[in-house]
Amino acid sequence: MLLARREAGVLLPLVFLFVTVGSINSAFFGVDNLINMLRAASFTFIAAIGTTMVLIAAGLDLSVGSLVALGSYTTALALTSSIPVPLAVLIGMLTGGAVGMASGGIIVAFRIPPFITTLGMLYMVRGVVLIASKGVPIYPLPDAFNAIGQSALQGIPYIVIIAAGLGLAAEFMLRCTIFGRAIYAVGGNEETARLSGIAVDKVKISIYAVAGCLATITGLLQASRLGSAQPSIGNGFELQAIAAAIIGGTSLFGGAGTILGTLLGTIFMTVMTSGMSFLRVSAYWQQLVIGAIIVVSVGLDQFRRRRL
Amino acid sequence: MAAAALLEMRGITKRFSGVTVLEDVSVSLMEGEILSLVGENGAGKSTLMRILSGSHPYGSFDGEIRVRNAPRSFHTPKDAHEVGIRMIYQELSLHQDLSIAENIFLGRLQQKKKWLANWSGMHGSTAGLLERVGLKQSPQTVLRTLNAGQQQLVAIAKALAHDPRILVLDEPSAALTEEETNRLLELLKSLKAHGISCIYISHKLKEVYSVSDRITVLRDGRVVAQREASSYPSQQLVEDMIGRKIENMYPKLSVPIGAEVLRAEHFTVQHPQAHAKNVVTDAGFTVRRGEILGIAGLVGSGRSEFVNAVFGAQEHDGRGKVFVEGRPVDIRGPRDAIRAGIGLVTEDRKANGFIRTLDVAQNVSLASLRAVSSHAVIVRSKEEALAQRFMSSLKIKAPGLRAEILALSGGNQQKVVLSKWLATQLKVLILDEPTRGVDVGAKVDIYGLMAELARQGVGIVMISSELPELLAMCDRFITLAEGRIVDEFAKSDASAGRIMSAATGVHKERKTA
Repeated sequence: MLLARREAGVLLPLVFLFVTVGSINSAFFGVDNLINMLRAASFTFIAAIGTTMVLIAAGLDLSVGSLVALGSYTTALALTSSIPVPLAVLIGMLTGGAVGMASGGIIVAFRIPPFITTLGMLYMVRGVVLIASKGVPIYPLPDAFNAIGQSALQGIPYIVIIAAGLGLAAEFMLRCTIFGRAIYAVGGNEETARLSGIAVDKVKISIYAVAGCLATITGLLQASRLGSAQPSIGNGFELQAIAAAIIGGTSLFGGAGTILGTLLGTIFMTVMTSGMSFLRVSAYWQQLVIGAIIVVSVGLDQFRRRRL
Repeated sequence: MAAAALLEMRGITKRFSGVTVLEDVSVSLMEGEILSLVGENGAGKSTLMRILSGSHPYGSFDGEIRVRNAPRSFHTPKDAHEVGIRMIYQELSLHQDLSIAENIFLGRLQQKKKWLANWSGMHGSTAGLLERVGLKQSPQTVLRTLNAGQQQLVAIAKALAHDPRILVLDEPSAALTEEETNRLLELLKSLKAHGISCIYISHKLKEVYSVSDRITVLRDGRVVAQREASSYPSQQLVEDMIGRKIENMYPKLSVPIGAEVLRAEHFTVQHPQAHAKNVVTDAGFTVRRGEILGIAGLVGSGRSEFVNAVFGAQEHDGRGKVFVEGRPVDIRGPRDAIRAGIGLVTEDRKANGFIRTLDVAQNVSLASLRAVSSHAVIVRSKEEALAQRFMSSLKIKAPGLRAEILALSGGNQQKVVLSKWLATQLKVLILDEPTRGVDVGAKVDIYGLMAELARQGVGIVMISSELPELLAMCDRFITLAEGRIVDEFAKSDASAGRIMSAATGVHKERKTA
């Protein structure tokens, strides 16, 4: 039953990897390391939630990495202008939502493919951050803000709790709500969805807005964790998010995918990276291995579907 | 059987992961014979032919294949080619941007001086093949410029280039006009006279009777009849195919026709490429409660564009007006049409009828998500109850409510699409070729459903290229030709002749106001 699900493809390799690394170096199972891995995975996961939704709707968002930087920068800017923390966080989130909405609007109104639109956004948003910051990081940030990224509840970092909450909400939204069903319908067959009365354009604009919002949340959490806003942060982050979603079974052709799968994909990538440094494999190897895993996981999925 | 069997398939049994698709099927083909293979979708015809062509390799099924009384094992399509078996598939596997000669000799170009292609030789051979199939085209004509009928002939010429003994044609007439079909059937008969035997697969019984010597009927993976065509009553053939008696193919009910429920006026749709030209010009119709309005016309007459424009799914010049129950409705998109109580079953259910990544229940609820949810959250039990209701009332055969829609046969997929509209607050249902690619049993079910909806007071608009069903089911007709309404008449004045002459522009003087 569980193994028949799409996400299951990554589960067995994940368990295997986890056990193997841990049995070679037992420090891998240590609470500190587990917490570190969870925290690292949380950043990717939050952004990857948005990416998963966009991919399910047969879209693509390449602007995630730049939005991470934007979220980090605008929140920091608001904080240093002595705006209170909750409001500053809200401003950071809304800038991402606004940029995402703009991407979605351009895709819908001018029928420019998502690849082109969000590639353009990737450069433009990064450019804006660099122009505004002149390439200089913003710090120090208020302690109240840094506490979000640096403290924990009963040993569990707040970041992990936030990621879990967002993941649960997203999975519920996709699985149980009309909006979620509309996302799967649009990704499965846009034309049929439109003819069945689904407001396809609104759905598309909304998911890019949600994805943008989630990317800036990742950014502001990174700023809070580091205690500073780095203009170069988040470079290449969009590809990590896409990789996590795809390893977790989300289809690049739209219509299929789950947040649970993306969670497993994210954890897999984290365990892989962390495991390799535990086994003292050079960091240079990590990219090679992750690349191979992406190709193999999609290949296995294709193979499995052809046999059905 | 006195004549020698050219081909025998004996006791073929094929299972796919535990499901028996063919059980103990035996079929034989004589020298110089045309055998028709008929059966509903899912009866096993295609599987049987894939076994014959080597696509399902030897060893993946039980039973044996004998050619000229010698057992053969086909591991790949190439093995079948070697004994002279050639398949011509429904979806033509021809390259649109290559010439006729290039298509025919693709993969085995004749050569001269080792490195050069011998085009003059190949063009010569192609011309000979084209003459045999009766296609008056230059070997250098690019395929894209040919129509479906001509491309079908090229596919046959390509098969003939290999000097086959047995041709297998799978639904060759699906995309052909009546005239093209007739020419194809004549060609098959002349090939037969030259010793090429043929297995012909078709849903269209008229063709089957006109071309075949014998007919084999498959149902649920078994041979249920194998008879001489000349002594096989067509009523009996239909009953053999669907396995039950049909008292009434068209269960039309006589229901009182009520007030006007939908009126469309002045719809003009521009041609997507040529802006000076219209696909639909100033067309309109009315349909009343309980009435079935038939829209006749040739393919390309603008029928589909017209109803899509009314539904808000096709851009038009904006002057078209829609009235539902006498009140004007502003339809800017399908959403508005659905809200006004209009449903549209499109012509091509794969392209825009269902969503293949959604399961059966999700496809049923697609246009009525609000009805199965509370506070924007879909209630699983409500959705399943809705789907279950239609599964039973429309007799949808599916492995389950949550089954993949692609696991269903064409007829059952169409019933799912119909359910999607029945689940809405339906006042008018527009059906564009509702029985295309649907087997006979499901066709009768769909006609029955139309009659029942009319009885409940729904107005129905039906487009169909199949004149018998249109004539039998509709109360009133309009005929479109080149985007204009050229004729309108009641059932009492209807005949296939009147529709065809208006549709083809033979009798323009008969145009009514």
